[in-house]
Amino acid sequence: MTVIATSTSAYFDRSVQDMASLRARAESLQKQLGSGQKLARSSDNPLAASRLRTLARADSLATIDTANAGHAAGDLKLADAALSSFAEYIIRAQELTTQAASGVLSPGQRAGIGTELLAIHGNLVALANSRDGAGHALFGGETAGQAYALDGAGNAIYTGTAAAGELALGDGQSVKRSLTGPEFLNFAASGSPTDLMAVVKSLGDALQGAAADPAQAARDALGSLGEALDAVTTGQTQIGARLAWIDLTTERRTMRSEMNAGEEAEIGGTDMAGTIAELQQVMLVLEASQASFAKLANLSLFDLLR
Amino acid sequence: MASDLLSIARSGAMAARIALDVTAQNIANASSDGYIRRSVRLEELASSGGFQRIGDVSLSGVRLGGVIRNADVFRQAEVRRTGADAARAEAEVAGLENIQSAVEQSGVYPAIVAFEASLRQLTADPVDPALRAAVIEDARTMTRAFNIAATSLDAAGNGLRFEAADGVNQVNQLAGELARVNLHLARASSASSDQTALLDSRDSLLERLSQYTDITTTIAADETVEVRLGGASGPQLVIGGSAAPLAMAAAADGTIAFTLGAAPVTLAAGSLAGKAQALVKLVDVRTRLDIVAAGLIATVNAAQAGGIALDGSAGQPLFAGTDAASFALAFEDGSLIATAPSGGGAGSRDPANLTALRNMLGTTDPAGALDALLFDISSNVAGRTLTRDALSAISGNASIALQAQAGVNLDHEAVNLIRYQQAFQASGKAMQVAATIFDTLLAIR
Repeated sequence: MTVIATSTSAYFDRSVQDMASLRARAESLQKQLGSGQKLARSSDNPLAASRLRTLARADSLATIDTANAGHAAGDLKLADAALSSFAEYIIRAQELTTQAASGVLSPGQRAGIGTELLAIHGNLVALANSRDGAGHALFGGETAGQAYALDGAGNAIYTGTAAAGELALGDGQSVKRSLTGPEFLNFAASGSPTDLMAVVKSLGDALQGAAADPAQAARDALGSLGEALDAVTTGQTQIGARLAWIDLTTERRTMRSEMNAGEEAEIGGTDMAGTIAELQQVMLVLEASQASFAKLANLSLFDLLR
Repeated sequence: MASDLLSIARSGAMAARIALDVTAQNIANASSDGYIRRSVRLEELASSGGFQRIGDVSLSGVRLGGVIRNADVFRQAEVRRTGADAARAEAEVAGLENIQSAVEQSGVYPAIVAFEASLRQLTADPVDPALRAAVIEDARTMTRAFNIAATSLDAAGNGLRFEAADGVNQVNQLAGELARVNLHLARASSASSDQTALLDSRDSLLERLSQYTDITTTIAADETVEVRLGGASGPQLVIGGSAAPLAMAAAADGTIAFTLGAAPVTLAAGSLAGKAQALVKLVDVRTRLDIVAAGLIATVNAAQAGGIALDGSAGQPLFAGTDAASFALAFEDGSLIATAPSGGGAGSRDPANLTALRNMLGTTDPAGALDALLFDISSNVAGRTLTRDALSAISGNASIALQAQAGVNLDHEAVNLIRYQQAFQASGKAMQVAATIFDTLLAIR
């Protein structure tokens, strides 16, 4: 004769097993809510965990790219400001040269103009040796020292490297962080290569008496200074284009990181509403099974037999 | 031979008493481990008619035919088989989870990414001492993370081997007890309460044994059991009153093998098999971690050799060691990182060699290799967890099925209590009737 199909201990064992598994489910849901993360360990969802690792790696490398873009933009803005100063000096030199080219000036007055031009030459050399954000030569390419050095005769000689350093902006894109001095100071005057500093220096020297006809030298130099201004303006255009390029890549990177964050939240984040609803459901079932267990366990034939 | 109402009633009362005793025993042992519900088998005691006594009524009451153990051999075997499978899966998953957390929690992957990131940051200004120091610190963190992962894996392996050794001891102890029970069983008389208690402990021992290893049992006519390991044709663990010793040997790489007596034996189920399988996976993971570490060491050191340090001297190896455990920094001076190509001169800002190093790391892709390793372990754990859940559900059902049939149901016993109490009272009434009849006969005058 069988009263109910199972033995008492099996009934208790099974009830405990069921309630324990409900309890474990509720706890894991609570943990998801508490941490905001769907995955506590990789094995909860190996594929999602691997994707999350890749996204986290991309994120941390993108942080570096953002910092690099900031460095590059800072250096380019410094270079832009320096180029504006170059342009101002050239315009001042042009004014002085125009005055010196006039035949009415006395040699003494020309010599005075020559002195001012030589002072401008000194300022130009100092400007060409400006420092970037990290304290290196802004226009010296990748040199460890100064961009320009003065030789025995006081001529500025370029001592930097041939090209400016490149900074990676992520996704295989990169930008040159500055211009080298020769890129915007060197130009061709009536067919022969020269540079701004040499033009100003030789004009200054000429006005101070090195040339037989200083007024003619000044007239010759006017053309060269015009070329120099063109070269500097071209340099500024290049810098503007590079800054625009950095803005473009930054925008792209921001979009990418937004997409990554969205994907991370989708894969690894807890869906609050869904999880809370599920937790509520599990708790309801657990409560019901606890109540029914208490009722059923109290039902003993021994209570009724007297 | 005539019937005797009084002695019939007496035998009925006696039988009811015994049945009540058995019922009370069942109630008392309702939650005893391995106890199997007993029931009494009652037999009518009557002699058939003899020569020239056809039609004679010869009734002698009832007698106890035997105490029955309600054990179903098939269900018990199922409990052992499924229990061994579940124990194997449980042990394997536990071991794999340890391996997973050893590699994942040690933070090797984030450390490699941080090292890559600091190298990328160094390209912004290769001569900046702060950035160089950051590379050194991230490299140090990475070597430590590899060391921790290697140590944790070793610890996990030691734990598994220790538990397996303990399991082997338990198996030997259980086998010894089983051999003693076999000896007692051979002497116990059939269907006695002594034999049923021995059978209970035999079955309970077999069930405990099946948690550690897969066993094949053969039960002889005298209820003694023969136990074989590693399949039906495997070596004997217990035969009659003797038990062969199970032994475990660890190989140089940390995997374990078992021998029974002197014969090698391959276990297919039970926690010992699970631990052996987890150890095999551990060796695999350890090897792959070492390969990633060795790849990093070789790549970075080769790149260092191709460049010059900040002071213009030739690049020295950055990492020492050959595997994850011996992975270490060879120098701690950030200025020795060879970012510039050879011939760049002291203080060169040319990042060509750094770029070469980053390209080489991009080709070797240690972070990708580690991600693949983590994915491999975690998908192993996830897959085995599914198997384990399925196997423990099967094993739980098998044991509930056995319990349902062999366990004590208190309602059932309550009913039996009433039933045998009434039988006892009825037999008492029969005695009273016999006395009344006797009195009636005596009263005839």
